[in-house]
Amino acid sequence: MKKNNYLRAIFVFPLIIYALFLIALPLLYIFIISFFKSDSYGGMIEELTLMNYIDLFDVVYVKIFLQSFLVAIITTIICVLIAYPFVLAVCHKSKKTQKIFMTIVMLPFLTNSLIRMYGWIVLLRKSGIINEVLLRLNIIESPLSLMYNFGAIIVGMVYTLLPFMLLPLYSSVSTINKSLLEASYDLGASKFKTFKNIILPQTIPGLFNGALMVFTPALGYFFIVDILGGGKIMILGNLIKNQFLTARNWPFGAAISMFLIFITFLLILVYKKLGGKMDDLGGA
Amino acid sequence: MIKKIIVILFMIMLCCGCNNQEERTLNVLNWSSYIPDEIIRDFERKTSIKVNYSTYSSNEELLAKISSVKEGTYDLIFPSDYMIEIMKSKGMIETIDKSRLSNLSNLNYNFLGLSYDSGNDYSIPFLATSVVISVNTDNIKEDIISYSDLLNSKYKNDIVLIDDQRIIIGMALLACGHDMNTTSEEELNDAYLWLKKLKPNIKAYDSDSPKNFLINNEANIAVLWNAEGAIASNTNKSIKNIFPSEGFALSIDNFAIPRGAKNKDELYEFMDYILDAQIMAQIIESYPYKTVNKKSEKYLSSEYMNNNASNISDAIISEGYFVKNIGDKIKLYDKLWAKIK
Repeated sequence: MKKNNYLRAIFVFPLIIYALFLIALPLLYIFIISFFKSDSYGGMIEELTLMNYIDLFDVVYVKIFLQSFLVAIITTIICVLIAYPFVLAVCHKSKKTQKIFMTIVMLPFLTNSLIRMYGWIVLLRKSGIINEVLLRLNIIESPLSLMYNFGAIIVGMVYTLLPFMLLPLYSSVSTINKSLLEASYDLGASKFKTFKNIILPQTIPGLFNGALMVFTPALGYFFIVDILGGGKIMILGNLIKNQFLTARNWPFGAAISMFLIFITFLLILVYKKLGGKMDDLGGA
Repeated sequence: MIKKIIVILFMIMLCCGCNNQEERTLNVLNWSSYIPDEIIRDFERKTSIKVNYSTYSSNEELLAKISSVKEGTYDLIFPSDYMIEIMKSKGMIETIDKSRLSNLSNLNYNFLGLSYDSGNDYSIPFLATSVVISVNTDNIKEDIISYSDLLNSKYKNDIVLIDDQRIIIGMALLACGHDMNTTSEEELNDAYLWLKKLKPNIKAYDSDSPKNFLINNEANIAVLWNAEGAIASNTNKSIKNIFPSEGFALSIDNFAIPRGAKNKDELYEFMDYILDAQIMAQIIESYPYKTVNKKSEKYLSSEYMNNNASNISDAIISEGYFVKNIGDKIKLYDKLWAKIK
């Protein structure tokens, strides 16, 4: 028994250290500097101010927030539309087939996401594979502009973030008790009715969890906007990166980061208000 | 058994420790794509100094790195002109003992004693870069001689720009006839309106490798760094480089020693090695920026010497403008940049 506790402590300890030093402390640092003033050389003056937060409401930045939300919302919706039917279809298969399908879906995500973005360039560019094939087949006469536009950004976002939607959805769909579905069909419910009354309510936590995990990063993945979108629009991620690397204004960058965290909290709050349980988010 | 393994591991670590103490090291922090790997390896082989080489991609990133690490972490850095001024005023860089550099006389005098460090006490020029317009003349038949020519509605979705706010806003300011380092809000607004007009023509912003857009026929016009333009025109002879009539941004990157640098002997040895005319020629052949090393010119290929974008003539250099430190006003540029995008 004693040995068990000892072991448990050994296993938990690194996690506590990790959470404390690599998550809690840096966040605290970001929180504190978001109230500092910046000097013109990128340093910080330790005088408290709310200016960084007030600056957030400048028209220029509000436009970027709206732009980011648009990207994130569209990405989330498309991820749901792809992931839900896929998960439902896979869950009816045998355990072995399920494993194979999920592995196939997850496999590409073992590669660095930046490299996969460059892969998309090879597919989408003017002299890329898609255009070449369409030209050869005489379907189009001149190459299509598939890259450096809004659509390409969405493609990149959906592609990168899809597993974050798939995994929580898969785990919540696979925990549905099969006998409930059988009972529903036996009682004469249609497929749609079964989905609406049995499947959907039970997968709401998984769906919300997935949506949260897709929506939040989609606000910040600046490299996708830069590589596939040609850097022509800015999202919150670009704005934060610029504050730290070019505008030499760390406090303002920190304030935008806090704003991003605040939005995530807000979304969780909405979920709780709607009757969701926190345990379902983590455990699903 | 486990104890034995631990003891052995410990001894191995100790031995490594001994070796490290004897080994001479040098910590270099440089721009990415500035010195080819072979040059560093050759230096290591010849001197048995181990070079720890890390990179950055903007002067601001360099500044942030140097101010956040412990003194003595880096021995040699490569700030641009205006950053030398900033670092000098903040006491972040040390004076350079020129007597320890035997190859100093190789340098082109035109690039010495410039306004940002008139006595070259803190900086020794490494190379010069400028902004050029590269045009694929196979597909663009009109003559492009100025930034204003880029506004032509024929070039819809056909222009690539480097993703650098000071350079691109600077370009718009020059196009409007203003100083490219202005802090006047009115003039910056002119630049905003100009860029808004240019917007439909912009295909992408890219700092990593804008030349590839031209080489792959993805776009026909690019505003980029001279080395990129030179490589593009060497790859495809129809790509021509133009120095716009309104002027263009010019920048000189320098060797500098961060305060508290520990490996003094090694860093001077390295600097002198890089200043060697033949070594410099090798570096410049790989990354064809404008050499500031007069003697290196004799070792450079005719391809380099005859390309107007790599071997920029003195007359053209004199038409360039330095990006200057504008202090707090950088926020105006940053906001404008967010507004354009």
